[in-house]
Amino acid sequence: MTSPKSVFFPPAEDFIHYETGKSILDAVAVELNVKPTFLFGVRPCDVRSFQIMDIHFSGTGSVDPYWQKRREATVIFGYAFYLDEPAQAEEFYSTLGIGAADPEGSDIFMIRKENDLLLKSMTSKGEKILDRLSVHDAATPEDEKYFEEYIHRGRQTRTRFTCIEKSNIAKKMEDLFHNNDFWMKISSACLSCGVCTFLCPNCYCFDICDETLFGKGTRRRVWDACMFTDFTLEASGHNPRMQVYQRLRQKINHKYSYHVRKYDTISCVGCGRCTRHCPVNIDIFSIVEDAMKA
Amino acid sequence: MSANSNPYIPVPTQISRIINEVDTNDIKTFRLTFLNKEDEKNFQYLPGQFAELSIYGKGESPIGIASSPTEPGYVEFTVQRAGTVLPGLVTAALHDMDEGGKIGLRGPLGHPWPIEFLQNKNIVVVGGGFAFTTLRSLINYMLYPENRGRFGEITVIYGARTPGLLLYKDELAAWEKRNDMKTVITVDKGDEDWKGRQGFVPSVCKEEAPSPHNTVAVICGPPIMIKFTLPVFFELGFSKENILTSLEMRMKCGIGKCGRCNVGYKYVCSDGPVFSLAELDELPRDF
Repeated sequence: MTSPKSVFFPPAEDFIHYETGKSILDAVAVELNVKPTFLFGVRPCDVRSFQIMDIHFSGTGSVDPYWQKRREATVIFGYAFYLDEPAQAEEFYSTLGIGAADPEGSDIFMIRKENDLLLKSMTSKGEKILDRLSVHDAATPEDEKYFEEYIHRGRQTRTRFTCIEKSNIAKKMEDLFHNNDFWMKISSACLSCGVCTFLCPNCYCFDICDETLFGKGTRRRVWDACMFTDFTLEASGHNPRMQVYQRLRQKINHKYSYHVRKYDTISCVGCGRCTRHCPVNIDIFSIVEDAMKA
Repeated sequence: MSANSNPYIPVPTQISRIINEVDTNDIKTFRLTFLNKEDEKNFQYLPGQFAELSIYGKGESPIGIASSPTEPGYVEFTVQRAGTVLPGLVTAALHDMDEGGKIGLRGPLGHPWPIEFLQNKNIVVVGGGFAFTTLRSLINYMLYPENRGRFGEITVIYGARTPGLLLYKDELAAWEKRNDMKTVITVDKGDEDWKGRQGFVPSVCKEEAPSPHNTVAVICGPPIMIKFTLPVFFELGFSKENILTSLEMRMKCGIGKCGRCNVGYKYVCSDGPVFSLAELDELPRDF
């Protein structure tokens, strides 16, 4: 149910331990103790989400040391969707150009062949691991062929049907920004609960807060969400996104428009989690389709 | 803790001087000195940038740097005690501190006023109320003897609601005496001791009517002042490229990661806070 982003970007990350009443010189930065990690069975769309998050956390401007160190210490075993079963109704990764068996971004990619699992290393990191794995049989030429064909078949698999081109949708969203009727209508049921953002593999907004108990405290970052009323509430009382429609508009625009302009990629991989778990059945892809038609 | 490569960890500083700026006692200037020489060396800033003031147990507040890099050895922040609507935990704790107190500092953050763009041009600085802090940094930077020749005519138009709410009163008086700049100080409403000008900033700008020729206007103030000042400058013939301002948005990380100050495809913290009006026109009205 949850996305694997929490492996690199945990819901709570301790930055500093301090004690109130003591000098700030006694505060201690929490040592980031990262152990080598295998992340096993990640679906191709989620692997793609890591690459999109990399652009933000470690590829642009200041480097986030927590994200970067965990990413470096992790070997990703990607796992193709099983193509003999239809995609789930909420999934729409293929409309964003992500194949059901795309191996890019995985260190080792896995494909199911009847009762066997075919593993192939995609990076030097993955190759080192596979070389030292003694239990497996060598792949036959037939396996190799099956593997390649499976990746190709994965690209043919359709999830939903409207294909989204990044610059098109980004422009469309920009044009729609001031169409309040559109945003009011699509957000009328929204509870602003934020579950979509917590489940999203590409949502990265966070808060930094101090928590003190009996004089001992921790400064930590915790997941936050642009869907919450106080997210943009300023000390003066001014809040640019007081209304639900403004916040849902922010979330959708951030993924389909702002991110495209800033980082040249849509910040959504079509995993369908937000739609599947929305308590009021808001379907992000229908919003995107409506926007394309508006 | 000392400087390290982790951008979320503040460096320790000591409050070496506190100046009570206004008669309402809710705006003070804090002069901070670094406790580690190395941190001071790493804190290379230009006017217009900001930093996160950090008090453990309370949190962090992004505040514009009010001193100029031409004054080495310390950094100054003019801070208003927040809390008219919400409790401003950090600013309240800071206001309750005395000289000698220690706080954390994270920065410098954001983009400065575009010094190279401003060079060899006439500069009109327009400020209103409390939003004068990074403008003061810019003015002191330009007035620094070695820098003065790099800029053309300097005009400062600064207004506050009352005489008691004017910031940096000693400096204002010194600027008024200089003959290499023009300083116009105005208040919305004077008191019996006030001998200076009265009038709102927009109307004073209209009366002063600075020429747009080879001139950049740098304008910061409350939204209501901005709203009425911009048309004056458009009418005078200033282009949107030649009007600069500094945006405010709620912030946390200050380094373009936490997503909070996102407006359109920009993060106010890391892409701003300084923007030209032409740049702001490209953003949705979401701030």
